[in-house]
This record gives sequence, structure tokens and C-alpha cells, in this order.
Amino acid sequence: MKLINRHNFLSLVCMSFTLIVCGKLLLEKLMGFTDRHYTENIFTCLAFSVMITAVLSLHYYLQSFPLIPVLIGQYLAIIGLVAGLVKLVDAVAGTTSDAMWQMLLSVTVPYVISAVIYYVSFFRQVKKANIILSELSEAE
Amino acid sequence: MRFIKTKEKGIPENYLELHYDEIDDETREYISRIDKTLTHIEGTCDGMRVTVPVSDVLYFESVDRRTFAYTESRTVEFRTSLNKLLDSFGDIGFIRISKSAVVNVYKIDRLQGDLNMRVIIFLKNGEKLIMNRGYRKEFFEELERIRGKNKA
Repeated sequence: MKLINRHNFLSLVCMSFTLIVCGKLLLEKLMGFTDRHYTENIFTCLAFSVMITAVLSLHYYLQSFPLIPVLIGQYLAIIGLVAGLVKLVDAVAGTTSDAMWQMLLSVTVPYVISAVIYYVSFFRQVKKANIILSELSEAE
Repeated sequence: MRFIKTKEKGIPENYLELHYDEIDDETREYISRIDKTLTHIEGTCDGMRVTVPVSDVLYFESVDRRTFAYTESRTVEFRTSLNKLLDSFGDIGFIRISKSAVVNVYKIDRLQGDLNMRVIIFLKNGEKLIMNRGYRKEFFEELERIRGKNKA
């Protein structure tokens, strides 16, 4: 069964976008940083949320492969897209010297957080299943 | 409906006895469940025809278009597809765990997750089976359904 499908794609994009923006705002507040390109960056966050959710939705089609290579492959695909996008924007409008680093960080942090949440939910699911199995054994 | 368990020392085989005036819907439901659990399947083992109680089967596996049932003591080959088996015994605790295997949940000792997010199934006889990621959600949902049914 697909974890990300066309019915929940938009809601997942909205959720990840909200989390990324909240994280960005909190970080800026803590660091006392004022974003001079606020509007552009918000739309960049939205573009990343769509891109990341789209790449993760491919997970369903890759489930016959071991997970760790799949996660690494997906991460490299996102990084490739992001690097290409930054190069393109740099060629057209110009970017700051640390634009590439900032963009890579913006992708890596939510990606790692999502992977950790995915792992934790998996092991919790297994733990819950073991409780059910012991209940079934006791009932026998 | 009441369920009374009585311990009797030295009886040769455990048995269930039903006392009724009229068979109502609840009793009928219990009978249908027990009937399926006590069903036997017929197949071949070492060239001889054998019958095995379904409740004794640890898991079914399909290998090279042949289907095998594994019990603690023997392996029985029979001519039924895994899909047909699931249709017949899906409601008595048999759940698909991969494209080629169906496991009896009552024969599972415990589960363990690995780093590739596959689930390793430890059976009560010590055997290990691997559940593919694609069947995980379906498996856990089915497990919840069985628990709900047993509580009802």
C-alpha cells in the first residue's frame, strides 16, 4: 500500500512546509537573524516541500530494494536537483557565495528528521505488534 | 453465551462441547470459526497422502509454483494457490508476509525490526521468516483486526 498517494500528497506537503517554515522562524529568532529575502525563501521552502514529498512517494516503488541504499539514493537525487536549481538561479539572477551550502542544509535537516521519525514509528509499530502477539498467546 | 473451561487430568485429547437449546447468531459465529480452525488440509509428504489440521500449520510457502505447508514435524505439498489459502483461512489468523509466504499469527513468537525496515518473524519453533516492507501495513492492520475479533 502506498504511504504517500494522490489523496494525501497535498496535506503532506502542507505539513512539511509548515514544519520547515516554523523551524526556519524559530532558528532565525534564536540567532537574531533577519531574513532580507523572506518572500523568496518562503517559496523556496514550498518548492522543497513539494520536491521532497514527491521523491519520498517513490519509496513505494522501491520497496523490493534494501531501505538504506534507497534512502541514500533518494537523498542524492534531491541533492542533485537542489544543486542544479541553485546553479540555474545563480546563472540567471546570481546568488550569495554560501547559497549552495544553505540550500544543502535546508534539504538535509528535514530529510534526516523525516528519516528518524520514519524509523522511530517503525520500531514502535513492531513493539505494539509484539504486545498484540503476546496477548494472543495468552488467550490461547 | 458463556465459556466454561474445565481442567481434567489424564484425558487423551482436549475437546469442546456445546450445550444449547437453540443456536443463535453468536453461537453460529463461534461454530463457524471453530469449524475452520479444525479444518484439515490434504496433501502429500514423502510421496504419501496425508492430512494436517490447519491450526498446526506454521506457514505456507510457494516455491516454483508449488505450495507447501510447514508444521513443526513435516512439510506437506498440496495443490492450492496462496491466494485461495488466504480466502479460506484468512479469517483464522493466516496473513500474507511476502509474495510467496503466508504465516499463522498464532505460531509467531515475536517480531524484530532490522535496519532495512524489514520485519523478522520468529516462529514458536525457532524458525525465522522475513516480512517484506510492502506487506507490513497490511500485516499490522490484520493483527489489530484479529485482536479486536478475539476481544469481542
